[in-house]
Parts: sequence; C-alpha cells; structure tokens
Amino acid sequence: MSRDLCQKAGYTYTFLSDPKAEVIRQYDLLHPGAGVNGQDIARPAEFLLDSSGVIRWVNLTEDFRVRARPEQIIEEAKALK
Amino acid sequence: MTPRRWNWHLWAGFVLCLIALASYFFVFARFPVTRDVPWANFLLFGTGIAFLFVGVKHAFREPQQYRGKIAGPILSLLSLLAVGFFCFLIFYQTRQLPASAGAPRIGQRAPEFVLPDTNNQPVSLSSLLSTPLANSQASPKGVLLVFYRGYW
Repeated sequence: MSRDLCQKAGYTYTFLSDPKAEVIRQYDLLHPGAGVNGQDIARPAEFLLDSSGVIRWVNLTEDFRVRARPEQIIEEAKALK
Repeated sequence: MTPRRWNWHLWAGFVLCLIALASYFFVFARFPVTRDVPWANFLLFGTGIAFLFVGVKHAFREPQQYRGKIAGPILSLLSLLAVGFFCFLIFYQTRQLPASAGAPRIGQRAPEFVLPDTNNQPVSLSSLLSTPLANSQASPKGVLLVFYRGYW
C-alpha cells in the first residue's frame, strides 16, 4: 500500500514500515490505542540526525495538528553543514 | 395580517456554523496556515453565531413579523454544540499525546534499527547514514527521521 502511495505521489524519499511498532517503541513514541480502530500507532515526531547519527534537532509536537513546517526543517538541516 | 417573514438569519447562521465545523476537516486542515490556529473556522463560527443572534432577536422582539420562536433556540443550541465540539477537538483532543519521555534527545545517538522499505528490502539506519544519494559520491550530511501518526 505504501508503495502505491509513493508511486502515485512521486515521493523519492525512503518509506519504511514498522508494522509491529518495534522501532516506534524503541524510540518511545508509542501511542497505544490511538488508531482509528484502536490500533497502537506512533505519536508524530521528527528527528534530524547528522552524518554520524547524532541527533541535532527533535520535534515532539504537543498537538498533533501542529507539525514542523518544511521550511523550518530545511533551516535546521542547513545548520548541520 | 401580513404573513410572517421567513427568518433567514437563523438558517444562515446555522448553516454557517455547520460549514465552520466541516470545512476544517475538508479544507482548512490541509494548509498549515489555517490548520495550526483555525482562525478561518473561528471567523465562520463567529459570523454564524452573529446571524443566529440577530435571528433570535427578530423572532422574539418582532414575533408578528418573523417566525422562529421554536426554530431559533433549537438551531442556536445545535450551533453552540458544534462550536463546543470543535473547541473540544482543537484544544483538547489533539493534544492527548503520550509523554514520550524516553525518546532520544539532542546529543544522543539515534538508536540503530532495520525496517523493510516499500519493496520489502531491509533498510538500516546506518545504511541511510552512509549510502550516498543517487547523484553524489559523498555520504549524506544527515538523515531526517519522520514518524507518522496513523496506520495504513
């Protein structure tokens, strides 16, 4: 399903699938039961890593309607050099 | 006796409030500028409530000219419920998120993982950090990890 979405929308970035929420739990982002049918889903989060894998910027939004704007992330990414 | 006029203010106000509620999900939530603070919807609600107020005033102060003594309060109540529901969603419901105190912080190394991509090929975080992009030789300068809310 993700593949169809990516092809239709023309996304070029890597889309990964975490059906058992393993990485979601590893990163402590689990939102139990919040899915449409009561599934466990992730709360939204973005992590900007530098080339050595160290986290340089985190966005753990307090309100899932309000996300980081792309321009904001690009500014942070530029600062990574 | 002249026939009483249709109290269009009441209905316009009510319809505006319904539009104010529905349009957030269908229209305004698509654009960050109207999604983050739903000012467009507050404007619509405000205008709708104003019309309802005028309509109720007509119905009770000029009952010989305007209808709506029953419809007025009912439509007003329904509209206030719509406003209340909207505010509940916007100011409470969407903030109900877990604390995520254990999430990795700035300065920490992001935990390594391996997950399948859309072609079912395993992709590791370390490979994302080291594999050059299609049109360059150098390693990537970084990786943006985005965790999406939702399930599909």
